Amino acid sequence: MSTLTLAALATLVFCAPGYPGGAGDAQPYVDQFAKAAAASAGWKPDSLAAIYDPTDQGSLAKLGDPDSVLAFMPYAFYVQHAAALHLSPLAQVDVVGVGTQERWTLVGKAGGPVTGAGSMMGYTILSVAGYAPEFVRQSALAAWAPLPADLKIEATGQILSALRRVASGEPVLALLDQTQAAALVTLPFAAQLKTLTQSTPLPVALITVVDSRLPDARAKAFQAALVKLNATKGGAEMLGSLKLKGFVLPQLPGNAGKP
Amino acid sequence: MTVEQLAAAVAADARRSDLETDSKIRDQLAADAIQNAQACLQRAPQAAACLYYDGIALGLKARAHPLQANEALKSMLSALSSAEAADPKYDQAGPARVKALVLIKAPEWPLGPGDPEAGLAAARRAAELGPDYPPNVLALAEALAKTGDTQGAVDTYRRARDVIQGLPPSRDRDDWQHEADQALRKVSAPH
Repeated sequence: MSTLTLAALATLVFCAPGYPGGAGDAQPYVDQFAKAAAASAGWKPDSLAAIYDPTDQGSLAKLGDPDSVLAFMPYAFYVQHAAALHLSPLAQVDVVGVGTQERWTLVGKAGGPVTGAGSMMGYTILSVAGYAPEFVRQSALAAWAPLPADLKIEATGQILSALRRVASGEPVLALLDQTQAAALVTLPFAAQLKTLTQSTPLPVALITVVDSRLPDARAKAFQAALVKLNATKGGAEMLGSLKLKGFVLPQLPGNAGKP
Repeated sequence: MTVEQLAAAVAADARRSDLETDSKIRDQLAADAIQNAQACLQRAPQAAACLYYDGIALGLKARAHPLQANEALKSMLSALSSAEAADPKYDQAGPARVKALVLIKAPEWPLGPGDPEAGLAAARRAAELGPDYPPNVLALAEALAKTGDTQGAVDTYRRARDVIQGLPPSRDRDDWQHEADQALRKVSAPH
């Protein structure tokens, strides 16, 4: 298949497991993003399509399509799947109200028995990033590594319910992203919760090339276009509709995406 | 205008807004509803009707102004709680029913006031107070689905269909039947 044909079929997959919103709600915004990014890169109009998927498995299925040359993903998704999918970071996302990096916070019951990895036996960690256990073990909770082998890690979209379970003394812990951790103080039962450990700053989200499906020259052009996208006409407004400020060149921790 | 007339005016705005696709008209309907609700509260600050329709008007405002939706939804929940305290049976257990729907549909903490577990509790209260009013049963089924009780949701949607089929023909009956059928198909579909 020629490069020209490939360009006409290129798809950017927005992988958004663990975050609210259905595909139908987000699709118009990711369509706008693809159009603006392609224009900024000097690509032909309509040469880049975008598709949104709010699930881990759905995102993986879409990335299996040879037309899926680019992907937008939370850092947790990247750590979980980078090696298997041969993901090459192009740009790091700057998210409104968060930035380019965030810390993840493990929360337990105040006065509870968990003080370190050794006291987590029989516990379950609940998190929006629970679909990515490698991220939880190797990145978010690297300071407590190695975690017990039998530790359960589960995905949840209902973090408020998870925090209630933590506060009530069930054998569960909640791993929170930066926005959630910052809002802990607003909970009426905040006094029953305690921060157990916090990650070092980690990227929030990335745009990557999938499995070398985009030729290097086009990848570089797209990378440059992403970095300047917020300065293009209407770019900042379009990015704002996706709660993004812009993009910077990727600065990943040393062990990111290693198998 | 009397309290009853002002409450009816807000209810009419809400019905029109549900069917309206033009955002400018929805904005006007929300403004009209807020004005009527405020007038109602001035006449009878503790009346369940005024508190309830103040909540409904704030819901219209949230829909018309998405950027300020969170604040409007929080005020809406507060108004509905006051209405429920004043008269839990008003509008066929309307305060608890509407509160349930807001809590299960709004963005969840920390992004918004959504709280599915609290929504389920409110839906149970509404269904207990008005077990034969289809919207109460439909709200309970939706709350069960949202909190992960798929079988409970299926059973409750079936119960809603039974309740609906026992009613005389009407436009409302057709709408409720359609909602129950559609939701039952969705919740029963393999994931």
